[in-house]
Amino acid sequence: MTLQLALVAILVIAATAGLFARKRATGLRGGGIRLNSLPNYHALFVGLWTALPALLFLAIWAPVQSGLVEQAVLASPAGQQLPDFQMVRDTILSEARDIATGRIAAGFNPESNAIAPVYSAAYGKYSMVGSALAVLIALGSALLAMRLVKVDFRARSGVERLMMGLLVGASLIAILTTLGIVLSLLFESLRFFKQVSPTEFLFGTSWSPQTAIRADQAGSSGAFGSVPLFWGTAFIGAIIAMIVAIPLGLMSAIFLTQYAPARARAWLKPILEILAGVPTVVYGYFAALTVAPLVRDFGLAIGIESASSESALAAGLVMGIMIIPFVSSMADDSIAAVPQAMRDGSLALGATKSETIKKVVLPAALPGVVGGVLLAVSRAIGETMIVVMAAGLAANMTANPFASVTTVTTQIVQLLTGDQEFDSAKTLAAFALGLALFVITLILNLIALRVVRKYREAYE
Amino acid sequence: MSSRAASRWTDGSMGKRVAKRYAAERRFRLFGLAAVGLSLAFLAFLLITMLMKGIGGLSLEFLSNSDATEAANAGVWGALKGSLLTILVTMAIAFPIGVLSALYLEEFAPRNRWTDLIEVSINNLAAVPSIIFGLLGLAVFLNFMHLPRSAPLVGGLTLALMTMPVIVIAGRNAIKSVPPSIRDAALGVGASKMQVVFHHVLPLALPGILTGTIIGMARALGETAPLLMIGMRAFIATPPRGITDPSSVLPVQIFLWSDEVDRAFVEKTSAAIIVLLIFMLLMNGLAIYLRNKFERRW
Repeated sequence: MTLQLALVAILVIAATAGLFARKRATGLRGGGIRLNSLPNYHALFVGLWTALPALLFLAIWAPVQSGLVEQAVLASPAGQQLPDFQMVRDTILSEARDIATGRIAAGFNPESNAIAPVYSAAYGKYSMVGSALAVLIALGSALLAMRLVKVDFRARSGVERLMMGLLVGASLIAILTTLGIVLSLLFESLRFFKQVSPTEFLFGTSWSPQTAIRADQAGSSGAFGSVPLFWGTAFIGAIIAMIVAIPLGLMSAIFLTQYAPARARAWLKPILEILAGVPTVVYGYFAALTVAPLVRDFGLAIGIESASSESALAAGLVMGIMIIPFVSSMADDSIAAVPQAMRDGSLALGATKSETIKKVVLPAALPGVVGGVLLAVSRAIGETMIVVMAAGLAANMTANPFASVTTVTTQIVQLLTGDQEFDSAKTLAAFALGLALFVITLILNLIALRVVRKYREAYE
Repeated sequence: MSSRAASRWTDGSMGKRVAKRYAAERRFRLFGLAAVGLSLAFLAFLLITMLMKGIGGLSLEFLSNSDATEAANAGVWGALKGSLLTILVTMAIAFPIGVLSALYLEEFAPRNRWTDLIEVSINNLAAVPSIIFGLLGLAVFLNFMHLPRSAPLVGGLTLALMTMPVIVIAGRNAIKSVPPSIRDAALGVGASKMQVVFHHVLPLALPGILTGTIIGMARALGETAPLLMIGMRAFIATPPRGITDPSSVLPVQIFLWSDEVDRAFVEKTSAAIIVLLIFMLLMNGLAIYLRNKFERRW
């Protein structure tokens, strides 16, 4: 709690220091001299230089403090009696933390109740030290910055340099996020591949990730062959969904751009876009509750005995509908980019509108459409909620659309939301699947973006 | 020559050919209309199904109660509050970072390998599946930084990383559409580059940026998968008091209820979907309103 107080204190100190600086700068101007920078810039300069170092310190201190507190707790008499086993100890420690900060009243483990007071005391001590240091830093830098407020001091360039740093820092977040994704996926996947060989993961055809608790139990090893998952993903996302989305999306785009009157287009396009805005959990619920029974009954009616109520067809159909506006707007863009002269040339030769579209506009727009379809595939195979709710869990390799298949994203959710111990191969497998998914979508996106860009250049 | 004979327009065979081509033309047009019609019919089917199933479940109690084991007592208030807190965290982080990096990339960045790298990562992040962000949140925020599980703080952070690229892309387009003459005029009267950007370009681009931000926020509001990854799927019967309390969010609540065996939860799930859709509609409506009111053609 004291760290939050320190945060408020720092901000208050920065604001007052800024106000003082402004007053001082205005006072300097009183003698009729021109200042190099406006008083407001002096205020900003002093305020920023007061707050930033102290905030930086707090940001570094917070993780250091939790390490220090943990050490102090473990060194205490009560802490030394804790079990050595890492996982149990961590559970007890985090429970003690929750008790100490008042989030829960009492812990599940008796040990955590015993060490909560120790935790609380250590926490209090270290956060007191940290807050005091942070406030001192703020005061010190305020004094230093205040001394710079003079007639010819270039406060504005100082402020602008700081702002520039802030801008660069903000844009680096994107790189950091990418790096974070790659590193965290790689790190956990490597731990997974220590237990399961990469060849088995990539080329194995049997998937049953439940590892038994005791080694002598039946099926204790678990099988981590991911081929059926990737087949299921491709079957639902790249085949069934695209069979729905490509014709409907493409024809919608053609109708809206070439045939529909401008007023109808202005209404129809946003309504069509709603399809892309509906949350995927809603699609998933709809697929599971309404579409899946319909598909199963249809399957039984045409004589397919094995028709499942978790069929690939139901999930793929709904996913295809969700992708329609995406395909449609990509096709729209690439059709609009075809030069009018090509269209006019075809019409002038006597071709009808549909002949022009089929023989001239579409071939010219094809690279853009293909790029859009690739992006749509990448979106479909990364889609989670529809398949979690409507597709099955059985890892089948079948091309029967009425049977149940499972997908990569379904399995990731399944692996990470059951009862789990964090270091088991089962949990780590989710990260390996995530890494594979990330790499595949990345490649698809890169190809798609390249295709689209190259094609745009051709007509500009 | 035969080609000369074929171009006699009064010929009967020619009339037939023209008629055939016109029929093909009408057919093609009809296909297009059917494609649009089919898509819209599906949308209508979905919305009407949800309305029919859920409208009976909407009541004041439903809006003010939180999750419960008995379907009769279950409500959405706890999840709704969790969603709002999560979105607030997302907004507080993604908006400033997104706007600042859009400004940097569009107005200041030199063309070199570093800015290319930034650009490529932003474009890629915008297309990374949302579940990957959930894995990132699980590995970094929970296992590495030990932030509280299933709290709006962690959910908001994860969604912020996901929404930030959307805001950057929308922001860059809005900044690009501010005409150079504005910048030239401000530079001409002696403003510094930074003053030009913050006093003139940013205010003019802000409506466009806000529109993009609201659309990104609406998407974050409906997102489920990454939040499942960071543990936001527990049964929580009390609304959260702050951003570090364990909480549920609306889409996850829908997911959890959809798994219940009790048939009474079907109505609750559909009613919660209606509430979620109303919020999304409001946010998108606000975005369209902003765009129509402030959009300027230079």
